[in-house]
Amino acid sequence: MTTPVPLAGGRIHEGGYRHYDGPRLGPGAAVRSLFRQTLQRVMGLRRPARTKALPFLSVIIAYLPAITFVGLVALIPGRLDFVPGYARYYGFITAAILLFVTFAAPEALCPDRRSRVLSLYLASPLTRTTYMLAKAAAVASVLLLVTLGPPLVLLIGLSLQGAGPDGVLGVVSVLARIAGSGVAMAAFYTSVSLAVASLTDRRAFASGGTLLLITGSGVVAGVVVNALRLSDGFFLLNVNVPPLELVARIYGKPGVIPDVPTAVVAAAVAAYTVAGLALTWWRYQRLQVTR
Amino acid sequence: MSAVVVARGLTKNWGATRALDGADFEISRGVTGLVGANGAGKTTLLGMVLGLHRPDAGTIEVLGHDPWTFGPSVRARVGYAPEHDALPPDMSAHDVVRHLAEVHGLPRRAATERASDVLFEVGLGEERFRQVGTFSTGQRQRVKLAQAIAHDPELVLLDEPTNGLDPVQREEMLHLIGRVGHALGIDVVLSSHLLEEVERVSDAVVILDAGRVVASGRLNQLRAGTEDELVVSLDDGSAAAVVARLQERGVAAVAEGDTVIVALEAPVVYDLVRDALADSGAALRRMAPRTSSLEDVFLAAGHAE
Repeated sequence: MTTPVPLAGGRIHEGGYRHYDGPRLGPGAAVRSLFRQTLQRVMGLRRPARTKALPFLSVIIAYLPAITFVGLVALIPGRLDFVPGYARYYGFITAAILLFVTFAAPEALCPDRRSRVLSLYLASPLTRTTYMLAKAAAVASVLLLVTLGPPLVLLIGLSLQGAGPDGVLGVVSVLARIAGSGVAMAAFYTSVSLAVASLTDRRAFASGGTLLLITGSGVVAGVVVNALRLSDGFFLLNVNVPPLELVARIYGKPGVIPDVPTAVVAAAVAAYTVAGLALTWWRYQRLQVTR
Repeated sequence: MSAVVVARGLTKNWGATRALDGADFEISRGVTGLVGANGAGKTTLLGMVLGLHRPDAGTIEVLGHDPWTFGPSVRARVGYAPEHDALPPDMSAHDVVRHLAEVHGLPRRAATERASDVLFEVGLGEERFRQVGTFSTGQRQRVKLAQAIAHDPELVLLDEPTNGLDPVQREEMLHLIGRVGHALGIDVVLSSHLLEEVERVSDAVVILDAGRVVASGRLNQLRAGTEDELVVSLDDGSAAAVVARLQERGVAAVAEGDTVIVALEAPVVYDLVRDALADSGAALRRMAPRTSSLEDVFLAAGHAE
């Protein structure tokens, strides 16, 4: 701590080492600090301007349609036909979500390994598991910004103009669906993107790998279903299908594979999420940082 | 003097490679050098002090606790600066040190204040808001030291802290390490393969060779056993005459140029040397017991094995 030295008309602080006898917080504080630092890192806060461009562009792309629809409803009262349903809204912001997915997890995980600051984290009260917990929570929070926030803006904006769901029950019902959809999508994409990012310490490779998984799995699913004439359930191999299909089912819509039971879709989302987290955890348990 | 680290029969294998082989040692207060060639097991040992590796056999206690079982609480009281570069290049030195102090349990405000304090302490007060990536190797080594002591640990582990430094920077770093261990009262384990620098700042050493502790203890004790010769430097070519006088008095001595090496078998030898010098009229330049360097201790320990 700096010691104030009285001086006429002011005081100066002597720089230099002092022993610390204040409170020491536990591992929970370490997790919170890493969580906050990772959030800042992913959003480019306290970093050069160029690192802010991508996250803020994604946020703008995600929120712009909602704000536009709410504004149009205000300008043209009584017209709601151009406003998409909440389930369909995700179609407008898929690009923003995928943009976030491809850079959030790589930005959260890769630099720590590349700069080897991970060895300093693991020499702290953090363990490999609590480190991963903080990282996963930070990536999920960032993704919630685009999976949960925009539909909420739409709901609030429409409700304030009397164009929202009918009655309190209607609002609560839509709120619960927005929350369920947003959390499921964020958890799914957090897990999958963390798993890819855990395989390399280069952000570009991790982002490219995530993009390749998203596009490549679509091609594979298409070939499996169409060329091999297997059931529509195999469309779930396309990593984009399970979360969007689950969102459709949450809103009571048939989705793109209506013949596949909702339980199977939910199980697929859960399986991807658990598998991604398990792969990430396994990778980090085996990383040698001090040997 | 209470032990900071106590290891008994500590063993660790990496596959077929035995990194530590039944290591027994105690590290006490002050600065302790952990010495050994590359691959001797120093970094593995530091990892075990931090509770990052489970011992395959034996026990280790750090600050009174088993670090494998009580890792987070032990690590909260320990600082660590690894051998390799370990700092995010796109963060300011202040942000890095503050964040790592918070991770070690300090509240945000205290961490912010102490980040500035320790960066001043290591001589980076003016540069503390610059990005680490713009720093020289010497400055980055200082930031590593700063983050290791920012949370006011009881023990700090420094792995090859002078790697990549030029002689002036090395000198400054050794001075800082000595200050941390002696003036600031933080116990230091200094891992290095450079015996000379360990000898400069350490109070004690643990010498590792192929995973085994071949010698450990206070430096003065390790050297004590080798102070059994008196080195007498002369100026006038009278070494042979002095040796003859000493041998007449029953003292074993040999001449090496203008230097006479005398077996220091008993305190009375000093008187006998004085008499021999007086009798032969030799011009004395210097007389002192032969003190061995850490290198001598290291070599002796290696050969003893």
